[in-house]
Amino acid sequence: MDVKPHDGPIQRLYARWLDAATKTGFAASLCAFLLYVSGALPPYVAPERLPELWGLPVGRFLEETGAPTGWRWVALMDHGDYLSLAAVALFGLITPVCYLRIVAPLLRHGERLQAALAIAQIAVLAAAVSGLFAGG
Amino acid sequence: MKNLRLIHVAALVLALTASGPATAADGAALPWWIWPIALFAVSFIIGIVAVLAGVGGGVLFVPIVGSFFPFHLDFVRGVGLLFALSGTLAAGPVLLRTGMASLRLVMPLALAGSIASLAGAVVGLSVATDLLQIALGATVITIAIMIWAMKAADFGVVESDALGDLLRLRGEFEDPAAGMRIDWRTRRTAAGLAAFAGIGFFGGVFGLGAGFANVPALNLLMGAPMKVAVGSSGLIISIINSSAAWVYIHRGALLPLLAVPSILGVMLGSRIGARLLSLTPANVVRRLVIAVMLLAGARALLRGLGIWT
Repeated sequence: MDVKPHDGPIQRLYARWLDAATKTGFAASLCAFLLYVSGALPPYVAPERLPELWGLPVGRFLEETGAPTGWRWVALMDHGDYLSLAAVALFGLITPVCYLRIVAPLLRHGERLQAALAIAQIAVLAAAVSGLFAGG
Repeated sequence: MKNLRLIHVAALVLALTASGPATAADGAALPWWIWPIALFAVSFIIGIVAVLAGVGGGVLFVPIVGSFFPFHLDFVRGVGLLFALSGTLAAGPVLLRTGMASLRLVMPLALAGSIASLAGAVVGLSVATDLLQIALGATVITIAIMIWAMKAADFGVVESDALGDLLRLRGEFEDPAAGMRIDWRTRRTAAGLAAFAGIGFFGGVFGLGAGFANVPALNLLMGAPMKVAVGSSGLIISIINSSAAWVYIHRGALLPLLAVPSILGVMLGSRIGARLLSLTPANVVRRLVIAVMLLAGARALLRGLGIWT
């Protein structure tokens, strides 16, 4: 069976980065959430107010709270809820980072088609991260 | 015996969740901190059960939390995507190291799926909630019936098609249960790409990982061995959901108070589920998952139809 000898090392490289990034995301989420619910960092929307709001559709929720959309939440990371959101958002960045890491080894082994797929996937994820598809 | 007891406790907690549907009024009456704790507990149990049953956690999380917790479906679907994403990210390294997931197989399929899932997430946030509840309920009930009826197929080593050859969709893995090294390749690559685009769209709309659909597409349609299909499905979910999750983040449909306890719960639960995997009777878990899905699906359907609000 024609299995390329470099398939294994590239797959293991991806696995190593995936493992480290996932553990980092877990730890960051836990720390940020503890800062949020303990009140150590002030929230943008107080948790006590949320039970009146979380039954609303997202559009109404945003109107009631003035919460930001797109990337504007980054400016609110000194608030516990948005620091927690940043930690959660890290999970959405893990895949593009891992893909980015394997592009060079793929090219080095002459895997141009696989490298092109990886770059296309990074482009799709980058478009999603940028908010291009978030619309209204 | 200890594992069976744990499964029974999980069944009891899920049944209690189902028997006590929360309304928006309940949500406002109870102290806020009850809900993150309840989410953590439910996510932890779903994390165990999902691994044991071989389904993505989202297919249990979205109907259960969407039907029995006081949160709007917009927020539940956002958390559902992150839920499936974090669970599969946590399992990914082991699946890749053991050869149960193949990066070479995953890359083209995940690309088709993630483009479609972006469109699905945008559509999901634009559709009326009642309609979504009805569609979600009908879908979850259909999936439960599919899981009940589905059997794995072993095609041996299938003949590659031209596109599969071009992408070199083949590999090998050590199967400890069979005590041998198994070579594999896939077939019907174009149909597989189309199937994963459809599954990605669907997952984006409902906030599900859609592992229940990935596995038959890989195994029955493309002829990958069952273990490679299950392992690669997890990795595909982690890539597809990464793109759809950003649509929910940018639309403001991700509440950290709901997302973080759910993510932490499923990541811890998945680890315990993975340890119990070899010791647990698969049929017990399968029946439990089907029962919970039928109940949660019926609840979502009736809620959407305005019969049980």
